[in-house]
Amino acid sequence: MIWFVMILTGLINFIFRISMFSGIRNIQLPLSLNRYVVYVPTSVLSAIIASSLISFNGQEVLYEAEKLVAASIAVIFAYLTKSVSATLVAGLITIWIM
Amino acid sequence: MKQKEFLLGVSAMLPLLLGVVPFGLVFGVLGISSGLSETETILMSSIIFAGASQVVFAQLWAAGSAYIVIGSSVALINLRHVLYSASVAQHLDKLNFKWRIILAYLLTDEAFAVSIKRFTSHGTSGPVHFFMLGSGLTLWLTWQTSTIIGVIVGSTIPENWELAFAIPLTFIAIVVPLLRSIPTIVSALTSGLIAICGQSLPWNTWIIIAALGGILMGAFVEKWNHNK
Repeated sequence: MIWFVMILTGLINFIFRISMFSGIRNIQLPLSLNRYVVYVPTSVLSAIIASSLISFNGQEVLYEAEKLVAASIAVIFAYLTKSVSATLVAGLITIWIM
Repeated sequence: MKQKEFLLGVSAMLPLLLGVVPFGLVFGVLGISSGLSETETILMSSIIFAGASQVVFAQLWAAGSAYIVIGSSVALINLRHVLYSASVAQHLDKLNFKWRIILAYLLTDEAFAVSIKRFTSHGTSGPVHFFMLGSGLTLWLTWQTSTIIGVIVGSTIPENWELAFAIPLTFIAIVVPLLRSIPTIVSALTSGLIAICGQSLPWNTWIIIAALGGILMGAFVEKWNHNK
């Protein structure tokens, strides 16, 4: 089943990539789409970041303090260095020593 | 001339590989720890070939999410490629279909960024599609190689190293530099808050709801800011 889902999503992804570039037909993007697409990466990835740090089950808020500290340090490193490696190393080292 | 463009594309991609290699390693390690087989993890890097969405795929698959949730999350993350596609099409309008298939497959954030820069600064009269081929192939090879190394290393890493935590860390490294405007920040916070509150929703649908909420909120704040 995983192959089916993987190949199908891969195919969708390829269709996105060739959609406007196939040369078969001249498709114009609605300009309004642009307004939404710019928020897609930050929105999706923030959801994943938040969910791996904190969860709320209706009664109580669950979190691990070490992860929150490590994530905050990672945010600072990401802001200052813009580097994936530096952010990863800073965050992982923080969680290891805590 | 063609060879020169190709090599220029390769060298334009080299500095960006600093961010790609650790991400590929992380994906390889995480694929294995999410319960995917070595073959599945390695081949996903060529079948889907889009970093963040592959990590999300592995994570959602491990959590037993509904297939439709996995598929639509991956699609949502990769929707930006439609915009890249439209932008590249404006510059490369004389290519045959075979070229279009190859370059579309190689169209990623990084290849798009360096190629568009080349197209706009040097025009498209020469064989600039070789530039895109060079940059795209360099990224592709690096992504596959680092995934494979991650898979090999991944099976030897002890669990208490907390490597699953590398997912949010990697995403923090991608997202934080993008948060440069009020609407983007509001969008990210909204999405994060919905994700936290939606954890008990069935089939991990929180990811879709949070993403859509964040996107709409971002567009709303942008419009509101604009009209003020």
